[in-house]
Amino acid sequence: MIRGEALVATDCQTIQEMLAENGGGLERLDGAESRHLEVCPDCREVAAAEMALGLLFAKAIPPADPVVEKRVLAALRPVQIRRRIVAFLPVAASLLVALVGAVMVGGVPGSGILGLLPKFSTQGWMAFGTSVSDWSAAVATGARAAAATLDPAFLVGAGLVSIFGLVWVALTALRWRRVSLWRDDQ
Amino acid sequence: MAVTEKTPQLSDERLVELSLDGDEGAFGILVRRYQRRLTAFLGQLVGDMELARELSQEAFIRAWSALERFNPKYRFSTWLFRIAHNLGIDQLRRRRLLTTPLYRTDSEGDEVEVVVPDLDKDPLGHLENRILASELREVIDSLRPEYRELVLLRHFGGLSYQDIADFTEMPLGTVKNKLFRAHSVLRKALTDFL
Repeated sequence: MIRGEALVATDCQTIQEMLAENGGGLERLDGAESRHLEVCPDCREVAAAEMALGLLFAKAIPPADPVVEKRVLAALRPVQIRRRIVAFLPVAASLLVALVGAVMVGGVPGSGILGLLPKFSTQGWMAFGTSVSDWSAAVATGARAAAATLDPAFLVGAGLVSIFGLVWVALTALRWRRVSLWRDDQ
Repeated sequence: MAVTEKTPQLSDERLVELSLDGDEGAFGILVRRYQRRLTAFLGQLVGDMELARELSQEAFIRAWSALERFNPKYRFSTWLFRIAHNLGIDQLRRRRLLTTPLYRTDSEGDEVEVVVPDLDKDPLGHLENRILASELREVIDSLRPEYRELVLLRHFGGLSYQDIADFTEMPLGTVKNKLFRAHSVLRKALTDFL
């Protein structure tokens, strides 16, 4: 029970803060606090007023506007397409850099690609292989010419860019993984 | 069909996760969940319901665009309201530069700003009780700015005290104390309606 005027005052402040936080609800009050409320008309008045205030504010929330939802949902798809393109740009760029790097050190055989095709190759496969072969031969020639004419420091720089691109790919992959890690933390 | 279409009771965290996997339906649930409160919050912040609707659309689209950068350490609602708050503040700054208030002289010779109420744009215009709407608007506007923001986040945004503390970067105790004081002012001013 309440033992003195000072205690009543202290308790009133604490209890009224709790009532304000819970919209006048009494669920979170423990035994002593509930007993205080029974004998304290001020706190009971605050409890009732807080409950009414909560209802008043609930009324002040406007109804849902279906137009807002419709417009937002219509805007999501283009953003998602753009996001996917941006997400794959570093992957494409680093793959290209890695390919050029591999060709520069002679790692990609030009005409040898035809030999890697399945034995049941059709006309389509042959045409595809030829075009890939022509393309890679052109890249290889260009890369060899670059290796012969460019400064070694530039080539080292290109190598570093290639490594940076691959790290970027790894980080992009980790960014997607982060969400599943977060779920495990919950 | 997206998995979320039949499960609107999923948590915000799960819906964010599904949205990141490209499930637009999941984000649609988040839009439905927060649209009313976000629009109400912005309406009170900028004082114009039409503008608040536009800003809430913008806030959702920005949230969707930046979803990968969302820090799961915080709650989605806190993050969303921060985006909306920044948009609202930017808008207020811009509007302050563009508008010239009209003044009239009152009976005591003081200049007072002329306010032309537009019920379509009024954030409380949907209330049937016009006296209540007017009183509520007046009381909210008269609150000290630091109290006003907390009241808007709490009662229009529906954020918990802890979320408000995260949002404002204030200690939880300070939030409790300020809201308690703000409530005292509100209770006194709105006695007739309580």
